Amino acid sequence: MQTKWWTPYLFVSLAMLGLFVFRFAPIGAALWGSLQETSLTGEVRFAGLENYTYLFSDPTFWNSIRVTLLFNLVINPLQVVCAMVLALMLVRPGPFLGVFRASFMAPMTVSIALTAVIWGILLEPTLGPVNGFLKWLGVPPQPFFRSADQAIWSIIGIATWKGAGYWMIFLLAGLIAIPRDVLEAAEIDGAGWWSRLVFIILPLMKRPLAFVLVADTAINFLMFAPPYIITQGGPAGTTHLLMFEAYQSAFTYFDHGRAMAISVIVLAMILLIVGLELRLLRPKGAH
Amino acid sequence: MITRRDVLKIGTATAATLACAGLPSAQERTELRVISLANWDERVTSEGLVKPIEAAAPVRLQVERIPFNQLMQALEVRLGARGPDPDVYIVDGPLTASYALRGHLLALDDLIDKKAIAPSAVAACSYKGKQYSAPLANTATVLFYNAALFEKAGIEPPSPDPTKRWTWEHTKEVAKALADASSGVWGLAWDQSERPYEMLPLGQSLGGVALSEDGLTASGYMDSDEFVRAWTFMQSFYNENLSPKGLFDIPVVWELFSTGKLAMMIGLTAGRDTFVKAGVPFGVAPAPYFESGKPVSTTGGWTFGVNPRTEKREASEAFIRALMEPAVQEQFLRSRPYPPFLTALWTRMSDYYSGDMWRIVEYDYANTAVARPSTPGYREYEEILRLALRDIQTGADPKSTLTAAARKTDRELRKYRS
Repeated sequence: MQTKWWTPYLFVSLAMLGLFVFRFAPIGAALWGSLQETSLTGEVRFAGLENYTYLFSDPTFWNSIRVTLLFNLVINPLQVVCAMVLALMLVRPGPFLGVFRASFMAPMTVSIALTAVIWGILLEPTLGPVNGFLKWLGVPPQPFFRSADQAIWSIIGIATWKGAGYWMIFLLAGLIAIPRDVLEAAEIDGAGWWSRLVFIILPLMKRPLAFVLVADTAINFLMFAPPYIITQGGPAGTTHLLMFEAYQSAFTYFDHGRAMAISVIVLAMILLIVGLELRLLRPKGAH
Repeated sequence: MITRRDVLKIGTATAATLACAGLPSAQERTELRVISLANWDERVTSEGLVKPIEAAAPVRLQVERIPFNQLMQALEVRLGARGPDPDVYIVDGPLTASYALRGHLLALDDLIDKKAIAPSAVAACSYKGKQYSAPLANTATVLFYNAALFEKAGIEPPSPDPTKRWTWEHTKEVAKALADASSGVWGLAWDQSERPYEMLPLGQSLGGVALSEDGLTASGYMDSDEFVRAWTFMQSFYNENLSPKGLFDIPVVWELFSTGKLAMMIGLTAGRDTFVKAGVPFGVAPAPYFESGKPVSTTGGWTFGVNPRTEKREASEAFIRALMEPAVQEQFLRSRPYPPFLTALWTRMSDYYSGDMWRIVEYDYANTAVARPSTPGYREYEEILRLALRDIQTGADPKSTLTAAARKTDRELRKYRS
């Protein structure tokens, strides 16, 4: 059967429409909005790069950049490693495998906002049950989200609790797809577990790992709920992520142009870092 | 012969006729979308607000209740859309100027009798000489103390006489004596420990001024020696484990007091019913002041405003007219222990406004109350200072934290200068 030249375009048109409406159009709107200034009474004027120059002279913005980069530098590799470890543990056949897989995946059914609320209560320094448990163990109570030294690590901890099980699914699928005969051949040749992991499994997992790392990076750069719900960017600005600063710019300081400029900067950072990650994880010989 | 059944029939028919004549029928009612406070529970909202207003105006209220900690942000999102929703919304008094300047409030001068309201409330609800919000409930803070804990420790509780109020220095010594880590009892807590509303009086007691006279400069005010000293003193309560860190929800602090885990609390009068219901033995005294300073107390409260983009302006104005009726306000205030804004209600409700707590509030309003700063940038000012107070509570250096916060506030207030 001969198909018309436009048939493939017809099939992808709906997806393209969705991509345009839900992805490109908001990005375009943010870009355009970042070049505008909205007055307190709602009038809009073209401001050129004013929003950006204002941002670059604001110490709060630079602190947010620093916190966001530190947060991502730690959380992205951590989540990928945790997800990979979980996937390696659960790929082998064993008793109660389904129960373990389901229990590691369970946190992904809880929204990030609810995760923040639950962990905010659990790790509450004064009334939270975790400190009650630590006290029972004879360990002094910890300040968690109320300490400038522990807050960002506590947020990384709860985000990883939620995220690792989700990313594990993709890596588990990748592991299952590795041909058994390759692994068996290596085993017959005397390769131990570590050698098989480093020389066979990880090289063959580059594609799923690249996907997980890229998607995880994009999500974590846009992290908003835990700082908003639990820490309000504090203590002392140590959890003041860029998306929280964008939110504050729009709804506390009524500066929508600045909020849009921050969104554009976050997007540029994601594109840059994702580009580097893809380059790093490109399978050898791939074009 | 007229039977008992006939009397009942006549009575019912008369009541129905009167009701029909006095009240607008269901068909004539206009539905209004109202944003209110979730801290006012179902009973307070229904019995204190919805029913009295619906009885006095041809409206049906669709009330959306938002928790206090999310209220300002939620309102910004809704009002920022510049649409007709909501028709009427709750306004924290000091934010009136901010909403009015940004075109989110309708002027209400023709609907409100200013002579009936406390002068401080008229000022708080106005912007550039026009009245933009209708006051409903004023607020005040007092020192609640757990009488049983005082008795057990053999310490004489504070006097309810405002002229014999405790100093902060003495209050801290008592807090030290009453705090008991082994039984989980704290010495003292503020129910709004991150809010300028409750924290400004400490610095003002030492002579501090919250903002410049034009309301647009924070440097030199927010980080003045008086506020640094006051909030360093506040921080010492947390450093010395006399106060629980990081409790920023009013109901959580009230719960701590209700369960006997808090010896003293600087809190809103609105908490009284919760403590009575919980059965905790408590007493009330005026809020302390610094030995070297003067007593300063809180004021300012909840008002309602009309969205100028509402498509139901007539009904919204009817809502405001009804809200300003003394009978409506009385019904609300009897459901939740707030002081009134309408001066006549002190006398009209003298049976209700009696006892130590109200005597203290009446005295403080007349002698020691200082309103929060008047500035169109109150939202920014409050938010920046709120986060600074959080940081100070959790151990940040007060001087450098306040200096940074003051600079940030100046930066954000710059837009109101033009």
